[in-house]
Amino acid sequence: MSSRALQQPFGLRLTSNIFLVFWCLVAAFPIFWIAVMSFKSPVDAFDSNALNVIFGPETLAKGNGLSLLDIILGIAVFWGTIIISTKTLPSMVKSYSKPGQEWIGWVIGVLAVAVGFLVAFFVILPAILGVLNPLFGPLGRDVLGLTTEHYKTVWIDRGFSDNFRNSLIVTTGVVTVSLTVGTLAGYGLARSGSTFAFWILIVALVFRALPHSVLVAGYLPVFINSAEWLSPILGENAPTLYGKPFAVIAVLVAINQPFTIWMLRSFFQNIPAELDEAARVDGCSHFQAFRRVIMPVMWPGVITTGLFSFLLAYNDFLVTSLLLDAQNQTMVPAIVGMFNRETTTTDQVVAVAAAVSITAPLIFLVLIFQRQIVSGLTAGAVKG
Amino acid sequence: MKLKSLFMAGAMSLAATGAWAECAYENEVPLKSLSAGFEAWKAVTDAMAECGNFSASLDQEFREKQPEAFAANPSLYQIGGVANETMIPLLNAGSLRPLDDLVEKYGQDLLPNQLIKVDGKVMAIAMMVNAQHLMYRDDVLADLGIEEPKTYDDVLAAAAKIKEAGVMEYPIGGTFKTGWNLAQEFVNMYMGEGGEFFGEGNMPAINNEQGVKALETMKAMTEYMDPEFLVSDSTYVQQQFQQGKIAMANLWASRAAAMNDEAESQVVGKVTMASAPMGAAAPATTIWWDGVVLAANMSDEEADAAFRLVLEGIDGEMVSANNDTAVWLSPAYTPGDLAAGAAASAENGAKAYPASAPMGVLHSALGNGLADYLTGAKDASTTLADIEASYLTAAKEAGLVNN
Amino acid sequence: MNFRTFAAFVGPSVFMMLLFIAFPLVSVFKQSFYITQPIYETVEVETCTPGFLTQTCTTELKSQPKLDEHGEVITKTEYVGLQSYRNVLEPERAWRAISEGSLSVLSTIDFWKALRFTLTFTLITLPLVIVCGLGIAVLINNAARAIRGPVIFISLLPFIITPVIGVLSINWLFRGDGILTAMLEWWLSRDIALFAQAWTIEILMMLYRVWHVAPFAAIIFYAGLQTVNQDSLESAVIDGATRWQRMKYIVIPHLMPLIIFVAMIHLMDAYRVFEEIVGFSSQGYVISLQWLTYDFLVPDQAGNRSISRASASAMLTMIGIVILLILPLRRTWRDHKGGH
Repeated sequence: MSSRALQQPFGLRLTSNIFLVFWCLVAAFPIFWIAVMSFKSPVDAFDSNALNVIFGPETLAKGNGLSLLDIILGIAVFWGTIIISTKTLPSMVKSYSKPGQEWIGWVIGVLAVAVGFLVAFFVILPAILGVLNPLFGPLGRDVLGLTTEHYKTVWIDRGFSDNFRNSLIVTTGVVTVSLTVGTLAGYGLARSGSTFAFWILIVALVFRALPHSVLVAGYLPVFINSAEWLSPILGENAPTLYGKPFAVIAVLVAINQPFTIWMLRSFFQNIPAELDEAARVDGCSHFQAFRRVIMPVMWPGVITTGLFSFLLAYNDFLVTSLLLDAQNQTMVPAIVGMFNRETTTTDQVVAVAAAVSITAPLIFLVLIFQRQIVSGLTAGAVKG
Repeated sequence: MKLKSLFMAGAMSLAATGAWAECAYENEVPLKSLSAGFEAWKAVTDAMAECGNFSASLDQEFREKQPEAFAANPSLYQIGGVANETMIPLLNAGSLRPLDDLVEKYGQDLLPNQLIKVDGKVMAIAMMVNAQHLMYRDDVLADLGIEEPKTYDDVLAAAAKIKEAGVMEYPIGGTFKTGWNLAQEFVNMYMGEGGEFFGEGNMPAINNEQGVKALETMKAMTEYMDPEFLVSDSTYVQQQFQQGKIAMANLWASRAAAMNDEAESQVVGKVTMASAPMGAAAPATTIWWDGVVLAANMSDEEADAAFRLVLEGIDGEMVSANNDTAVWLSPAYTPGDLAAGAAASAENGAKAYPASAPMGVLHSALGNGLADYLTGAKDASTTLADIEASYLTAAKEAGLVNN
Repeated sequence: MNFRTFAAFVGPSVFMMLLFIAFPLVSVFKQSFYITQPIYETVEVETCTPGFLTQTCTTELKSQPKLDEHGEVITKTEYVGLQSYRNVLEPERAWRAISEGSLSVLSTIDFWKALRFTLTFTLITLPLVIVCGLGIAVLINNAARAIRGPVIFISLLPFIITPVIGVLSINWLFRGDGILTAMLEWWLSRDIALFAQAWTIEILMMLYRVWHVAPFAAIIFYAGLQTVNQDSLESAVIDGATRWQRMKYIVIPHLMPLIIFVAMIHLMDAYRVFEEIVGFSSQGYVISLQWLTYDFLVPDQAGNRSISRASASAMLTMIGIVILLILPLRRTWRDHKGGH
């Protein structure tokens, strides 16, 4: 709204904002709802009366609940975390880390905020409330049925932390490899006008359109028998690829490659070619120009593309469920397993709790990186 | 406060997992198993894990992985969990180790009923049986003066009465989810009518009077079911029962315990387990078993250790601890009221599921084809003819039927 | 950039795509023309299975694959030409249905049923996603600067959520007496069963897909809106252009490359529709092409799978997607030629 000429009449702004609120409700409701369900006893969670699900009378009757004071302080901690991760963290990272090594600052910052939140929410807050609740009379009485037992079942009894660790390994691997391989290819494709480059892009596009289930089913026998067919090359130590995280990382990187190179290519295209030509005049090789001159201005694009790779790896079900065994299983197949098992209603609510657990890191991540995504996309203004 | 106790509990349980509990010996050979993921398998593999050096994969993709993984040399898993139908691909590929020597050495406590024999050789050790049978709301039926339904005509008459009396809108529940579940319902009905699935040379033979009768009964039942029957699986039917929305269903014996689960059921003690309703020839149900197999591609030493571990997993201690989880095959099992339905069905002459390679193909074809009849897109004999045609295409591709 | 440097930059990426995508694809292509099957023999087998209390033994004629001296199954591979394609397309049945003018019969043949739904799904959700995405982007752009951050964050939620979980949550909200169905029932005061007929399930699936993808479109369009030339907007105002005209003649043309990008991505993803079918367990009513391929591929209980038909169906799916992509791609070709 930079100019008065473009100022909108009040009525239009009001309608516009009403629609926006409506959209936000639609967007957030299902996620909000499964979060609510995950804290209730099975009877409440699947009740067909919405109010019963929210207030959880059965859950409250079993002695699990929150008082008004709990709710207020809990929201305050949440709000604080949101403020810190969206406002304070980016500026801290900017001022404290060396230029060019901002990602280290980001990693440290994100970990610090995550740990800080967990400690504040699960250790300090309960301790304070334990003292305050009895003092405040009616404010301290339980009004909202809420139980964390399903989370306890998921993370402690079902060993979901192993799945979490495996997801972490797979996603980190995919993002790193995918970006390394992808930036190189994206740069090459952006700077080459040859027809060959064009056909690589087109074929990549067709690859992206393939139904994955066909490809993936073909991997299974090859991966299981890899010790046999790799032994002429690697001898005794030939690994069985089935069940190994690195094999899954390779597959996911390959499947994700078409999208990555298309996206990065359009980012590179927006960086003027004069920049690397100048570097080349100064005596840099193509690769040096790429590393010293182009990469530093590419961060917004790399972060945005990285986030898409992250989503793909983190959310994948088809590849991970088929090619990993139970010891290396990631979170999504683990959750689907929980649902498909011969389940009781309790098991289902436990699985809902797992579903919320898997969504939480995603939300946290978007909270921190959303500015980068938008500015990255704006800078890249992705071209078709 | 609760959050704090959660934290404490976490620390405690981490400390507790250090020592191996309750295993008679310590297993020193590293072993792995691959099986389906339902509750009974969890109980059995947990009991095995107590002996150490063992890791279990309870995997929903086990059907796809098992044949490949067991064919590898050495096999990727030493122990496999199978059911009557899922044993067939392993058996056909020669990936299973005959167990006679091991049974002789260690298996004194096994019941003769548990030994699955193919051509005289023991190929698997069964641990539990399962069957669909009638569960009904004792209180609802008694209020209206209805006797225990013995046939599907009785079930339908009872449903009509309940609906008329305005007690429930949809008195019948059914595992009619398109795919495996729906096909299983047809198999139950068709076997109850005494039908044969195949003729000479694996040719399909379901387009007959019994087939049409089975379909008609199913359609008549859907009149009294929640209209979303084509998406309702066992868990959903179980939930409907627990919430008091239905009065009768032909449900798996392994689900019986959930009816009396105080934490989630509103009908505790009100559900009676009875024999599956009779068809013209037999109860409209099939008996299934689940059991353990060992891979052929492993050393004798490993096989020895694996077999001992399996016996430890399905021993009396595990069975008594999880008595109501399944209908166990073990001397330690005490069949209670919850197992009465499975027992009554067996007594009335329920047959085993006719597992075979062509049956697997037919089951899939049924699963995909039956919905067209229930939604009214095709009539009964066209549906059956189309299912036979799609079976033939698949069976020819698999080499089961010669062109 | 000479070819060697180009190859060095692009090499690793191309190698990975060749190894994990192109190579399997070639084998899929080959498998669609061949059938590999074990050789069965009929033998009499006695099988003993447990009953409730006692064992039952039956002796039957059973088909068993022959094993060679190493204990491996003997298989034969046979060239069958287009047979597998015929098995998928069922041209005779389809032709008979068409010549009788009976579309309802045609829509009971798996492939055509799947094609019908896949196309409907793709072509209906495409404009919806573009319009909703554009709408949300404009709304966000209209909002006060201070609330844009939180609004973008909330808008992104449907896009980042794990698809499996997204589908399940919609499932809980609507299935049976799910809370939103209960609300609808209360509002319309009549009984509603959304999973009981094909059209409601189809609508539900499309709504879910739009909910899931519109944020992606919105965020990209929003980024594009930031670079709209303010001067030309202002001069348009001075020329007396209405809001709608400014949108039509300045904003939309500016966003056109982005609209094509989003449309292309969405075409590809929607044509592969699969999670919705499994998540809503809609197989009884509607199926999609990728689900059909998957169904051929998944082994049944006895381990049989239809690899050849799955390969044929996958190739047909690919042909379909290439046809759909030709239009947007012609533009890329022109851009590519013009850009250098």
